[in-house]
Amino acid sequence: MTIDYHPNSNFNKRLVTFKIRSSKLLNIMWRQRWIYLLILPTVIYFLVFKYGPLWNAQIAFRDFKPLLGVFDSPWVGFKHFEAFVTSFYFNQLIGNTLIFSVAKLILGMPLAILCAIALHETWLKRFRTFVQTTIYLPHFLSWVIMFGVLLVVLSPGNGLVNDVIKRFGGEPIPFLTSPAHFRWVVILSDIWKETGWSTILYLAALLGISPELYEAAAVDSATPIQRIWYISLPGILPVIMLITLLRMGHILEAGFNQIFVLYSVPVYSVGDIIDTWVYRQGVLQFQFSLATAVGFFKGVIGLVLILIANKIAKRVAQQGLF
Amino acid sequence: MKNWKYVLIAVVLVSTQLLAACAQEPAAPTAAPEVAATVAPVEPTAVPEPVDITLWAMATVTEAGPPPDDWIAYDRILEEVNVNLKYEILPTGSDGEAKLNAAAAANNLPDFMQMVSASNDPRGALYNLVQLGLIAQVDDMLALMPERTQKHYNDPLALSLSTFDGHLYGLPEPPPIPRREGLLIRKDWLDKLGLAVPTTPEELMAVAVAFTEQDPDGNGKKDTYGLGGFLNGDGMGTRFDFIMGAYGVAGMWDFDDAASFGLNVRNEKYPEALAFFNSLVEAKVIDPDWPTLKRDDFRARWKQGLFGIMWEDFAALSNKSNYTPFDENFPDAEWVPIPAPKGPYGDATYGVYTGRGQIFAVSQKAADEGKKEAIARLLEWMATDGYYLLGFGEEGVNFIIDANGNISTEGLDPTKAYTAAEFQPFTQMRNQLVFYNSTQEIAARYPNWTTINGRTMQPLTYLTFYQSQPWVDGRGIQVILPPANAADFLRYYTEGIVQFALGQKEVSDENWAEYLAGLDSLGAVEYEASAKQALIDAGLLK
Repeated sequence: MTIDYHPNSNFNKRLVTFKIRSSKLLNIMWRQRWIYLLILPTVIYFLVFKYGPLWNAQIAFRDFKPLLGVFDSPWVGFKHFEAFVTSFYFNQLIGNTLIFSVAKLILGMPLAILCAIALHETWLKRFRTFVQTTIYLPHFLSWVIMFGVLLVVLSPGNGLVNDVIKRFGGEPIPFLTSPAHFRWVVILSDIWKETGWSTILYLAALLGISPELYEAAAVDSATPIQRIWYISLPGILPVIMLITLLRMGHILEAGFNQIFVLYSVPVYSVGDIIDTWVYRQGVLQFQFSLATAVGFFKGVIGLVLILIANKIAKRVAQQGLF
Repeated sequence: MKNWKYVLIAVVLVSTQLLAACAQEPAAPTAAPEVAATVAPVEPTAVPEPVDITLWAMATVTEAGPPPDDWIAYDRILEEVNVNLKYEILPTGSDGEAKLNAAAAANNLPDFMQMVSASNDPRGALYNLVQLGLIAQVDDMLALMPERTQKHYNDPLALSLSTFDGHLYGLPEPPPIPRREGLLIRKDWLDKLGLAVPTTPEELMAVAVAFTEQDPDGNGKKDTYGLGGFLNGDGMGTRFDFIMGAYGVAGMWDFDDAASFGLNVRNEKYPEALAFFNSLVEAKVIDPDWPTLKRDDFRARWKQGLFGIMWEDFAALSNKSNYTPFDENFPDAEWVPIPAPKGPYGDATYGVYTGRGQIFAVSQKAADEGKKEAIARLLEWMATDGYYLLGFGEEGVNFIIDANGNISTEGLDPTKAYTAAEFQPFTQMRNQLVFYNSTQEIAARYPNWTTINGRTMQPLTYLTFYQSQPWVDGRGIQVILPPANAADFLRYYTEGIVQFALGQKEVSDENWAEYLAGLDSLGAVEYEASAKQALIDAGLLK
């Protein structure tokens, strides 16, 4: 097929511009081909494992039957979304999920930043290495092991904490089965387990700050607090923004592994989250369409929150994720 | 140009690696012998291709791990049945169910598999998969395995429960020894404190208080409790049925007759039973970790001597390998079985007998690939030539059959005996697919043995005692399918009961009525009606 060339038509102007741009882009890509080659496995990974399965997310709108497959299962519209939103415990599930997620973010992040700054400020190299290793360790323990540890520490019968409480004449507290205490157990145990690991990012960001700034501050007789306030914190602000924004996308993920292991019947009212409900109703009751619909719901909410937070970040702090 | 070639090669290499990693395993070859036999005469030297069979089943001893790849049974199965068996151990409970369901969702079930259910409802799991068209009919397989059918598939009720729309879809293995759990008390503690065996809930409370307060183990510390237990199912689970049974409300359902059938929580004695349970909690005479404990945690605790009254399986208590840690800790201790306490209205029930056994099924995919005959060959072999190998190991090495026809390990290297912990991986199939509760089996599985202080331990004495107690016939529970909103309904049902038991909600008329109203709003009435109809249809409720 040949295209008539009419220099005055808008279409052809756009076509020419497009061709020039494409050619430039291809040239640039060719010049940087080795960089593109390096990134290719990652791109393929994302296409195969992250974008490919998105096509199957359509079972959220179908009554999925394995024998019929994804494409031949009947369409049911928003039936599964409706089933989730009108389910008996919907409000409680959303509430619990948000409480855990937000609390872990609000309490966990400042602690990790504080740890990173403290490690960055210390001049005893061996001490820093020792502390770093010690606080990273819990991250490598599974929640099943952590449950055993928590049982030993918090058991009302012979747990360490309750032994102390009893020694001071107090009544033992059933931390793991008491609705009044369970949320704190979840939040604080998560902080205990993950804070050390989270410091890595902030520590890396701190190490990226130009030493000249600290040298100049020293010349100006800045106190350690002033150094932190005027150099360290502003220096890692972009990383803090980035992590906060990324966490917004996972706001409806409150930590399935942790809660599934720690919760029990007496604390369902304060511990049951969206993911544990999906496990019981979706996976164990063989309602995979419902499980996918809830996953879709979470993804959409996460995307909307990221977009809003990004806009706010750009407006308030003049920097965003994209 | 040269660079392009390198780029191309690199891309192809990376892509092929990734695609290979993502690719599914190649489909197992289909059985060929039948086709060969009908199409043309087979050369005398031709050996039919072995049939690949993938089996998913739970382990007999979960902590022991699978048999090694060079297990002699794999070779024997290949030689004698022409089956290339790939045996994979399924996790128990919800993990196993999740694995099975995930495979089903991908239409990638194994050829032959055990139905696993978090709520101990294998029939419900089978029903779900049958509804999805993923399970093959197995009526025609019974004729191919006459010996196994006679020994394993001989219970008309079990067969009818695996039959849907007139076709058999599941192979119901014989249930484990029925009524095998029971109530136990530390006799040495009773003797030390000069107490009698409790016969009523009030006496049970008094003994529990004494066990908690009066240092029954004599170590000078107040570190013991009256009772121990854990939650193992919906409502109060099954571990406290002896308490609920004292008020006539053991289990979830009232199976007495069609007129009274319904959820036991409708019974006015139910809140009374919960009030009594709550009094045990308030008196702090029950291990306070009971709502969070898993079964293994609970077992570790009685072996550490933490409490003096419990509900336990006879083998989990008294078999040598299970009892030894406790024996080493407390050589003078003794657990004795006791009758169920009699409640204020004269009720005394030990527990609910459900008669649930394991169900195995063949995937439709395997049937389509013509593997049913090979699976039947394998199962028949397990019940005949392979029976002793899979159940006890190699004769003369792992076991012997004595002059009386009993299985024995006398004169054998103890580390190689079939009873040794080291040998457990080699008999992982025995409880699921091999044993059928013959007299020889039971005598071999639960032999008498001598404790450290010379007392003869007789596991079957515990079993006999348990079985002689009053049990509710709850076999009907097998035909009751969960409601559509099972997660919400069962959470509300169980959470409410446990909250009353723990005292998080006061047991009062008002609170109880509110609880029942909530249950009704979740469809309890409709659930009861459908359960009743299912029982009547199955002839299990008159």
